[in-house]
Amino acid sequence: MSERRSREPEDRLGGAIDGALHLLDRQILDSFDKMVGKVDDVELTEGPDGLEITGLLTGAAALLPRLGGRLGDTTVRHWRALKPAEPLRSHPWRVDMTDVDRLDSAVHLSVAREGVLRKDRERHRLGQLTAMEVVYPDGNRLGRVLDVRFRPADDGRLVLRSLIVGRGRPGTLLGYDRRGDQGPWLVRTVVRGLHRHTAITPAARAEIDWSAATVTLDHVPHDAPGHAFG
Amino acid sequence: MKRYLAVALGILTAIGGFVDIGDLVTNAQVGARFGMSLAWVVIVGVLGICVFAEMSGRIAAVSGRATFDLVRERLGPRVGLLNLLGSMGVTFLTFIAEIGGVALSLQLVSSVNELLIVPLVGLLVWLLLWRAKFSAIENVLGLLGLALVVFAVALWQLGPDWGALAHQAATADKPGGESWTVYSYYAVALFGAAMTPYEVFFFSSGGVEEGWSREDIPVMRANVLIGFPLGGLLSLAIAGSTAMVFGPVGITVDTLGQVGLPIAVALGKIGVAVALVGFTAATFGAACETGLSVGYSIAQYFGAQWGKYVRPSEAAAFHLVLMVSTLLATAVLLAKVDPILVTEFSVVFSAVALPLTYFPILVVANDPDYLGEHVNGPVANLLGSIYLVLICVAAAVAVPLMIVTRMGQ
Repeated sequence: MSERRSREPEDRLGGAIDGALHLLDRQILDSFDKMVGKVDDVELTEGPDGLEITGLLTGAAALLPRLGGRLGDTTVRHWRALKPAEPLRSHPWRVDMTDVDRLDSAVHLSVAREGVLRKDRERHRLGQLTAMEVVYPDGNRLGRVLDVRFRPADDGRLVLRSLIVGRGRPGTLLGYDRRGDQGPWLVRTVVRGLHRHTAITPAARAEIDWSAATVTLDHVPHDAPGHAFG
Repeated sequence: MKRYLAVALGILTAIGGFVDIGDLVTNAQVGARFGMSLAWVVIVGVLGICVFAEMSGRIAAVSGRATFDLVRERLGPRVGLLNLLGSMGVTFLTFIAEIGGVALSLQLVSSVNELLIVPLVGLLVWLLLWRAKFSAIENVLGLLGLALVVFAVALWQLGPDWGALAHQAATADKPGGESWTVYSYYAVALFGAAMTPYEVFFFSSGGVEEGWSREDIPVMRANVLIGFPLGGLLSLAIAGSTAMVFGPVGITVDTLGQVGLPIAVALGKIGVAVALVGFTAATFGAACETGLSVGYSIAQYFGAQWGKYVRPSEAAAFHLVLMVSTLLATAVLLAKVDPILVTEFSVVFSAVALPLTYFPILVVANDPDYLGEHVNGPVANLLGSIYLVLICVAAAVAVPLMIVTRMGQ
């Protein structure tokens, strides 16, 4: 099946990507193009240069919290209650980034799917970060983290460099807030209008509080985000 | 040569595959009550399904992603889940209607009570989905479905005043006894019947499975842009022939037997035999497509292995969904639910569910990250935007019209 496809071998892991727009919810395929699952969430670990992507999370324990709100809380609780005897049930299954080969419209692994999932650690999740509230030092609320931009370090580790923040209106996953040339005119005008307050800010100027689920900025961001691919 | 044969086969199966129980019943009902005055809706609907299927086929060919992959990627897990429940619910409703349609067709052949046939049909559908080769299902049933061309022959034999039919169609000349609200209700139903969402789920998932590439885009376009309009002509022939037979006497169509009655009037037993082959093949083919579409949408939302090109043991969850949904659909029909009534609901709710999948497809068809240079051109976007508005209007008015007109009474 795969040899019939004549796609350019592109790999987006070599450049900047936006976590929610380009990685979350993508299909994971193994080295034989068999389906493994979705990128239900992304594992973030504090490294020498800040937060970096260390794994892809998949399965119910990763997906259900992302449903958000009361639905997310309830389904997570029920998921755990279905099998109380099982340890680490609310810990998601993870695919280590060392097993990831490349990213295009899907995530391709370099190994076969049999036994590729692990439950060996639990770190921060991208889905928690993109749900966080954004506040100023004086406590005034700005909005929500919509997306985060990663850039590869010299050794290829994807490090979090910027946050994209906005009012949290619908449609941020459609990409119009980052690409002004994407049609059709009707949809672009409406979605860009809704997202006229969306701005990008360096991660260095933001303080992430995981327990309070807030991000504090030391300035008011004004730069509209461009597209990660340039 | 082989390439042209493949294109011809694709077009022929697209014609047969376009007409399903929803098109059969709705077109016959509309023809009997409104003559050709709603023909414009069939034309609008067929152009709409061409726009929708062409976009999703192009996305499948260039990016390798099927409909529900994109729904989840562009709308996120929460809205995507609601979307899944809505779209899959409608597809399941259509699945029930198609299985019921097969049973009704076989009842017309055998005179055995439909309830005795339903479990057999359910079993056959499940066996086909489990064991049969994907292309075999599509080609054999699609070609047999072409037997429905008998409606065009019947219409010609009935010798209508073509000028009057064309005039009625061109001027949307509503019969005086019908109200505008009922007229609008049937317009929405006809639109839903022509633009059933499962056709697109099935089309794009099939394209991904067959490993379409950029080079396949012209063939895909030929299938869509020739096959679907010819299927639409079949729909119009059905409406025309019931208009000729039932229109003058003011009878409404409530059974599948009545749908085939104009054939009996025009062509006698032989015609009826051919029409029954067409009914059975068209509904059977659509039953397989809707059943698979239920499995496709669930598996694509959760990322589980799906498809007919891998062994069932490698896509166990997908085949479990197929088995459970076939069982459930059979159970609903065994509870003596009228398949024609289910069909009427399914076409209206198809119109309601359309924006759920049309909108994300329209957005991705414009996204260079997925399509590179193959993004929508100005014509595709103009049509795409017009249909976005049309589809949203149809979805918004469908349920209110259904309630106000008490399902078109």
